[in-house]
Amino acid sequence: MKSALGQRLGNLGGLALALVAFMFYAVYFSPTQGWTFFFQLTVNGIILGSLYALIALGYTMVYGILKLLNFAHGDVYMIGSFIGFGVLTLLGGPLNPAIPVALLVACMFVVAMLGSGLLGLAIERFAYRPLRDAPRIAPLISALGVAFFLENSALLLFGSQFRNYDGFDLISYNGIYLGGDTGVFVQYLGLIVIIGAVLLMLALLALVRWTRLGKAMRAVSFDREGAAMMGIDPDRVIAATFFIGSALAGAAGVMFGLLFSQIYHLMGFLAGLKGFTAAVVGGIGSIPGAMLGGILVGLIESWAKGYLNGNVSDLVVFGILIGVMLVRPSGLLGTPALQKV
Amino acid sequence: MRKFVVAALLAAGVAALASAALGSTKSPARVSSAGSAVVTCGKTRTIGLAAPITGPAAGIGNQQVRWAKFYVKRWNAKKANKNKQIKMIPGDTQLGVDTAFAVKVAKSFASNSKVLGVVGPAGSQEVVASTSGYKGGGLGFVSGSASRTSLTDGHTDGNRRGYFFRTVPNDAAQGPVVANWMTKKLKWKRVYIIDDQETYSQGLADGVGKILKARGVKVTRDSISQTDSDFSSKIAKIPNNTQGIYIPWQLAPQAQTFGQQLKAAGKGKIKLFGSDGLFAPGIWKITGSYDSAFPYNPADPAVKAYIKAHKGDGEFFGLPSYVAAQVVVGAVTKACADGKATRAEVRKAIAKTSLKTSILGFPVRFVKSGEMRAPATYGVYQIQSNGSFKRIG
Repeated sequence: MKSALGQRLGNLGGLALALVAFMFYAVYFSPTQGWTFFFQLTVNGIILGSLYALIALGYTMVYGILKLLNFAHGDVYMIGSFIGFGVLTLLGGPLNPAIPVALLVACMFVVAMLGSGLLGLAIERFAYRPLRDAPRIAPLISALGVAFFLENSALLLFGSQFRNYDGFDLISYNGIYLGGDTGVFVQYLGLIVIIGAVLLMLALLALVRWTRLGKAMRAVSFDREGAAMMGIDPDRVIAATFFIGSALAGAAGVMFGLLFSQIYHLMGFLAGLKGFTAAVVGGIGSIPGAMLGGILVGLIESWAKGYLNGNVSDLVVFGILIGVMLVRPSGLLGTPALQKV
Repeated sequence: MRKFVVAALLAAGVAALASAALGSTKSPARVSSAGSAVVTCGKTRTIGLAAPITGPAAGIGNQQVRWAKFYVKRWNAKKANKNKQIKMIPGDTQLGVDTAFAVKVAKSFASNSKVLGVVGPAGSQEVVASTSGYKGGGLGFVSGSASRTSLTDGHTDGNRRGYFFRTVPNDAAQGPVVANWMTKKLKWKRVYIIDDQETYSQGLADGVGKILKARGVKVTRDSISQTDSDFSSKIAKIPNNTQGIYIPWQLAPQAQTFGQQLKAAGKGKIKLFGSDGLFAPGIWKITGSYDSAFPYNPADPAVKAYIKAHKGDGEFFGLPSYVAAQVVVGAVTKACADGKATRAEVRKAIAKTSLKTSILGFPVRFVKSGEMRAPATYGVYQIQSNGSFKRIG
């Protein structure tokens, strides 16, 4: 146990050193604008990373309990954002909301989370449960099939055009400047996203650590047959895991729509890949690892976009995934002794 | 024995390659026979429509589909055309995914003997990839959006003269219009150019950037991808004293999001300048932004009818595809005058097209290269506070 902790601390220490080294390199050797620019990119990266972290949690939960890479998860996130958009439209739209904005946003989150959660339940019930005892490649193929099914269903249902949340009209462009008028600008919308993501992650951690369901999740993750013999219904626990993971993806979908406005039927593909990358970098199966991985992927993407010309951020993000896999195959926090769901 | 088998396989491989090579040298003969095959026109004539119906460019692709279908619907509704009905077969080229889809569509049209002419494809890279498919089938094809200049020069991207035509002015016409407006009207000295990594966008960005630099304007270049939604880090890089950002993109919702994020970052005073790919009133609606686009005649009854039928959304990116459909349908009808037609006759009729008026606001005729004759050029528009695009130059 001590060695596992030591390994994790070593990983984190190495990561911290790498970040500090990058920070000084970026500020002193980059031709661009110094500390303010660096911190602006960092804030942007944390906001983006919060979304990736929420998506990564779904991947990591399902992998932790079923050892299944649920490639349909990114598309559940896409459906969540469309559900949020539907609620927004039904309740008057961003320019003329029929109810107070705070209530409207809350409704969008609740309905999108419920809808995505139910979708996750349906996917588990019809695409994965029948393959529970099949070779591991079968549910993986099924997951890819579900992903394409969801993307094309969204195309048929919502059309191919982009939809716009107009989040800035709904919540405003305002924000705060950290460090004076020329300092780092943080939109209120971005703050809401960060706080919302952190609260959801903490709620999930609390659920896994301190509730009966959480204990059951850990038990099923550790030994499904053993848990069943102790009176736990693995099917119910797995279904609950899918519901929670998908609900978090739905919340991320609404946050994405509010923050970046445009949503479309293929948006889940790349976001899903990045969420998956975050889960793997953090250590798939580990909840804190998913959070760390998400923030890290967001930061790397933001810095790459800011410091490198052209659009090479995806190259950098996925290059780092390969690097982490080569150096640390189980991810930054993914040790066997870790508590998993 | 093993050596004998290997030698036999090698010989068979060489023979297959030789026959393939021989086949390719004979391709002109196949072109000739496909183009001269006689089709009985009957009461319903068939044309193809190659457009990105699904995929990342489906938003603009479906605008083209709707405009082209709108023309065919109006044509078929006329009593005089009762015995000259048009059936349009769509083919999904999935622009932005892989040009192989455009090639597949071209081959399917070429092998369908009923197809006499084609509207599309949308992207310049698709035109390049699918030309051999259309030429092999002897088909003429008219694009409503492929604007890469070199498509019609007869050598850079291959020779497609006599087969390919377009109802949009090319990029060489658009770049100077944009650069002139920036330097002569707006007096910009510091311009940021962001392409979306697509051929269309990079071509325009290169062209405008070159002219601006030659005129002493400080130009900074960057890129985004068509799948990007978070521009915050790119925007953080843009200096506050930048006067304008040129965004020759194809996805108007992306430009809208970019404009919103620019404003959110406190840089809303920097003006945006888009290209014809962003000509989407009601979708890109950042007030005060500029856009270069092919002109259209707002007073034309067809334009009014389309806007009315689509709840106020003109979907103007697809408008030249209406004209492309008009050209192809007109050519097919002319070739079918005696009840029979060949694809070669249709191609010749396309080349001789002469529309005295069009919804573009000017006559449409083609020169040998497949370009429209002057005065086909671009106009400059500015986005008004109600989201409409007002022509200012």
